[in-house]
Amino acid sequence: MERYRDYLSRPTFILIVILLIAVWIAKIFRLETTDYLITIMFFIGIAMSLNIIMGFAGYVSFGHTVFLGISGYVFALIVYYNIWLAEMLDMFYGLPIFMIAILAGAVSAVIAILVGIPVLKLRGAFFAIATIGLDFAALYIIKAVIPIINPEFFGAQIILPAYALAYKDNVFVAMYLTFALVLLTNYFVRRSRFGMGLLAISEDEDAAEALGVPTTKYKILAFALSAFMTGMLGAIFGLNAGGVDENLFNLAHTIDMIVMIVIGGIGTVMGPLIGSIIYFIIYDTLLVTYPEFNLVILGSIVAVLVLFAPRGIIGIVRGMTIGGRRLRDIIE
Amino acid sequence: MSLLTELLINATTGLLWGSVLGAASVGLTLIWGVMKVVNIAHGESILLGSYIVSVLLLFMGIDPLVGLGVAVASGLLLGFAIYWMNLHKIIGHVDVINLRIEMSTLLEMFAVSIILYNLYSFFTRSEPFGIGIWHLGPSSYIHIGYMSVQVNHLTAAFFSLVATLILYQFISRTSTGKAIRAVMQDSQAAALVGIDPVRIKMLTTVISIGFTAYSGFLVILYESAVVPSIAYKYAPLAFTIVVLGGLGSIIGTYIAGIIIGLSYGISKVVFGILVSKNASDPLALSTAFVILVLTLLLKPEGLFARKR
Repeated sequence: MERYRDYLSRPTFILIVILLIAVWIAKIFRLETTDYLITIMFFIGIAMSLNIIMGFAGYVSFGHTVFLGISGYVFALIVYYNIWLAEMLDMFYGLPIFMIAILAGAVSAVIAILVGIPVLKLRGAFFAIATIGLDFAALYIIKAVIPIINPEFFGAQIILPAYALAYKDNVFVAMYLTFALVLLTNYFVRRSRFGMGLLAISEDEDAAEALGVPTTKYKILAFALSAFMTGMLGAIFGLNAGGVDENLFNLAHTIDMIVMIVIGGIGTVMGPLIGSIIYFIIYDTLLVTYPEFNLVILGSIVAVLVLFAPRGIIGIVRGMTIGGRRLRDIIE
Repeated sequence: MSLLTELLINATTGLLWGSVLGAASVGLTLIWGVMKVVNIAHGESILLGSYIVSVLLLFMGIDPLVGLGVAVASGLLLGFAIYWMNLHKIIGHVDVINLRIEMSTLLEMFAVSIILYNLYSFFTRSEPFGIGIWHLGPSSYIHIGYMSVQVNHLTAAFFSLVATLILYQFISRTSTGKAIRAVMQDSQAAALVGIDPVRIKMLTTVISIGFTAYSGFLVILYESAVVPSIAYKYAPLAFTIVVLGGLGSIIGTYIAGIIIGLSYGISKVVFGILVSKNASDPLALSTAFVILVLTLLLKPEGLFARKR
């Protein structure tokens, strides 16, 4: 009990709760449009779900969008054939949307495990390159196979049937639940024995193995967890967009994820959260006037941060001192 | 059209494209092999050459063969800027490059890639830029039997081969080239015999990006017009080719490029028969990445890696 009180009084946890409440308040009082909130939650969500494998375990997955894509397509296919499924399973409505999203995430997790067993043996840049390869292999295969399944999916584009989009609020709730799941999973993984193991892997994998951390198991578990949450977000993103196309596999999503994590600070929970909020402020202020320049500026920020503050903004903040005491000692 | 003819035509196209791919990957193998810097901005470096050649032709009427010189010069300059702005502080005075440093350079090049990509999109408004109907010689097609081959494709393949051979001779014969190979093998020992590692690392970056900008000319000859997203097609293929060929091996990379090109051409025919004509192109491209993952798992040092 003591341990849980400690868990729930930390600044990171309080920030997560404040963020969740803030989104809900913004929704109820219509401070922002529902679409905007869904987009914010999507972007913060994918950054935080990549954080588990990239931030904690130190394995930079450049092709993480592959899970957005795979789950998006699985989700769209099941929703498309849901009526037919309902007849077969003798159910009136077919499967509920949120359950299909979980199912789609699970497919990504299974693929992550199957792929992860061989690919996670690679280290550093080779892992990054392998995941890029995985993304493009999946993209080209889906581009080829989807139009064969049904000629209606022309150009590998699946448009969801109208009933799936009946209530915009349902999409919001689904995204909100997934978002909360991602944030809380991040927090509790970071505090757990599992999270400590992952951090040890990112520091020195051989030493961690020698000290008894089951590195292979932990890495695969982290990759699958990350893929599951990315996949769920991809499915709900597809639902919100009313359909899926090959853009889900676009490396632009990876750029968003990695930039948010690096700006905030690798290896923490608070870092990517703050990073994604800053990312959104810059993104938003420049979006209308110079849509290309926001990424030029964000790219420059990343370049400068990696050189001069490899631990990101959270690293700078932690190192500051107030009245002779390090800020790190005060907030943690 | 009989199957054999179709196979022959696709194999020829694959061979020519493979030659271009090989040359477009040589710059990457150099910087990756010598300094362990994975140039994520490789596709954008290629595009620099393509854009300069086409912009000079479109707006000033400068012949691409002359524009090529400007492209290479700006590639060298870009390499110089990238080394001193992005890389020097991380790897300049480091002898043994560990995983953490490798990830830092990866993120640094990633930042360069984002910046360049979006600058291209901004200045070109993502519209295609090309060299139009420019070609060497009197006609734009050469007819051999059943086949008609674009002169530009042949030129691109020929220029790829020549440039790769020249770079190979430079690396294996000249004293600078030998110094580069010495740093590739052991940076510390190279410093002991009087080679300045910082100078060599700087030179490697400059040569690598310069050669990559040169290959941008080959790419625009082959594609005839480029958009920024071409970077997302060529960079992943270049990673595949470099891994397949073996890090730091120039001829190996060129041969791996031809292997990937041929496998694309041939698997296109096979998938056209087995699956369907429409699905054959994306499926053929996906074979390259299946080859990548298989290489990484079965022979991670590549096919033509130098034996240690």
